[in-house]
Amino acid sequence: MSTVQNFEIYVPKLLDKREFFSAGHRACQGCGEVLALRLIMKALGDDVVISNATGCMEIISSAYPQTAWEVPYIHVAFENAGAVGSGVEAALKALRRKGRIADRYVKSVAIAGDGGTVDIGLQALSGAMERGHDMVFFCLDNEAYMNTGIQRSSATPFMAATTTSPAGKAIKGQRTGKKNVPEIMVAHNVPYVATACPSYPIDLVNKVKKAKEVKGPAYVHVFSMCPTGWRSASEQTIKLGRLVVETGIFPLYEVENGKYRMTMEIPKKLRPVEDYLKLQGRFRHLNADDIEKVQALVNKEWRKLMNKVACMKPW
Amino acid sequence: MNKILIQGNHVIGEAAIRAGCRFYAGYPITPQNELTEYMAENIRKVEGGTFIQAESEIAAINMILGASAAGARAMTSSSSPGISLKQEGISSMAADELPGVIVNIMRGGPGLGNILPSQGDYYQATRGGGHGDYRTIVLAPDSVQELADLTMDAFDLADKYRNPVLILADGMIGQMMEPVVFGEPRPRKYDESYVLKGAGKGRSRFIRGLILDALKMEEHNWKLHRKYQAIEQREKRCEISRTEDADLLIIAYGTAARIAKGAIKRSREAGMKVGLIRPITLWPFPDHVIREFSDKVENFLVFEMNTGQMLDDVKLALNGRGHVHFYGRPGGVVPTPVELAKVIAHHYNNNRSLDED
Repeated sequence: MSTVQNFEIYVPKLLDKREFFSAGHRACQGCGEVLALRLIMKALGDDVVISNATGCMEIISSAYPQTAWEVPYIHVAFENAGAVGSGVEAALKALRRKGRIADRYVKSVAIAGDGGTVDIGLQALSGAMERGHDMVFFCLDNEAYMNTGIQRSSATPFMAATTTSPAGKAIKGQRTGKKNVPEIMVAHNVPYVATACPSYPIDLVNKVKKAKEVKGPAYVHVFSMCPTGWRSASEQTIKLGRLVVETGIFPLYEVENGKYRMTMEIPKKLRPVEDYLKLQGRFRHLNADDIEKVQALVNKEWRKLMNKVACMKPW
Repeated sequence: MNKILIQGNHVIGEAAIRAGCRFYAGYPITPQNELTEYMAENIRKVEGGTFIQAESEIAAINMILGASAAGARAMTSSSSPGISLKQEGISSMAADELPGVIVNIMRGGPGLGNILPSQGDYYQATRGGGHGDYRTIVLAPDSVQELADLTMDAFDLADKYRNPVLILADGMIGQMMEPVVFGEPRPRKYDESYVLKGAGKGRSRFIRGLILDALKMEEHNWKLHRKYQAIEQREKRCEISRTEDADLLIIAYGTAARIAKGAIKRSREAGMKVGLIRPITLWPFPDHVIREFSDKVENFLVFEMNTGQMLDDVKLALNGRGHVHFYGRPGGVVPTPVELAKVIAHHYNNNRSLDED
């Protein structure tokens, strides 16, 4: 019912036909992350400078001497996307002011994976957001270090099995829940923070456009499905992205000047998390009790978010 | 003792656990991930074993600094770019005189480079690496078996000298599988006087690397220097092979030494008298062995998978004696024995014609 009503949400036919992230890259079959990146680039256009930290998206798109990037692009070390993006923005601003370059607005964009954002890159990201650089930071979150062979990160969800959080009898995979980085960004008084998912392409594109238009720092956390690392079927990618939103595990919202807003219709009753978990090999070891624990954690996070949506007012 | 077929990265983990390593902190980077994964799976199976995946390389090295100060046998591992991030921590461990083992599975550089085997971190490893006047013991295995033995030795050396010890291997040795027999680890011997374990009834202990008084700092520097001199006297190790009648000596370590062995076999078959000196400790560098050979041998060929770093140490050891040639392939290229044999033939024949003139 709601799907039919919101038909345009799911059909990206009206998007810009130009590709700034071209075909022929080396991403895995069914990669949700590269789909997100392609949509982000369509929304950003070509007046950008991309600072991309090491990770899947860098490895599949920029292996010398080929590249999938059709826009100015710099590959930087793992922890530095935020810092290099800050440098690019500050330099462009200074050169523009002094008349050394054309007076044309160019957006500095930093892109990193979950490891390069929530773990090793958090310091540089925090610095960039705190200083208030006019830039956008995209976290493409596939919930582990997939590029190096599926090691846990602090974005790995509760009880997911990875090579460094193996599932056993006593310890069932990852022992902590996902670090809530969008919330950390809100605490930095960033004017625009959003969560997005490529299974909702128009919503994603709208958020990217909004983030680009903001004068000041913006942060978009993009949930990126990873069939290789999650041990799921590659044709289930889009479905997993829908399920993660419908179960409330990864709610889609945006925070403009402190005001929370759900960008998708809030369902009266969330789907059970089991629908999402059972499609993935990384959760295969969970029994009914474990799923109950995951459900309880998701419910708690959902309640926290709903309270914020209900109460928080713009600054 | 069972002989098992096992991968280099796994061997480091297994040997460390057998040697009594009870704390490991790591962070993903190719080509050493198998070691981190092995520790995640296996260190928890031994009593008191703790694995932590850190949020960065900097956190990982400082976690082992903490674990070491608390008295644990501790290890961390990474590959070239990650080792660069660890340097501040390694410098701190040297200053605080804390034992610890750091594994560097080298890859091509500089910058992020690539993920292929290389030996570009020689300078970084043997010159201290971080800031300040310090050294780390550097062990360079050339086979998976030696990786097992040296990993066990690394913990003993770290405890003996209370100094960080670096195991310097490359992506090739880390990734390849060979049969291995694990030796019997020696019981841990160490002075407990530095270990921080709660004040209890005695005086509280104190570890620091910040010494603002210049004279006190100088005193500490000289104290460290005397320790490094003792290490230089006692711990130099190298392998020499087929040197008895050699006219040309190859000096190579790690993967390069393996290639050199193949090349020497070929050259010998072609009638060229070629031998090998393989430093096992890169610091302290076994310069005395090279110097001794300079009485008998005129020509030396330094062979490395970089643009010439150990070359400096060989020249220092020879101090102007003999001719030093160099052949290197940086950037993750693994040269073949055939390729090196051609270089050997070139230098060997050149030298011959000079002698005949």
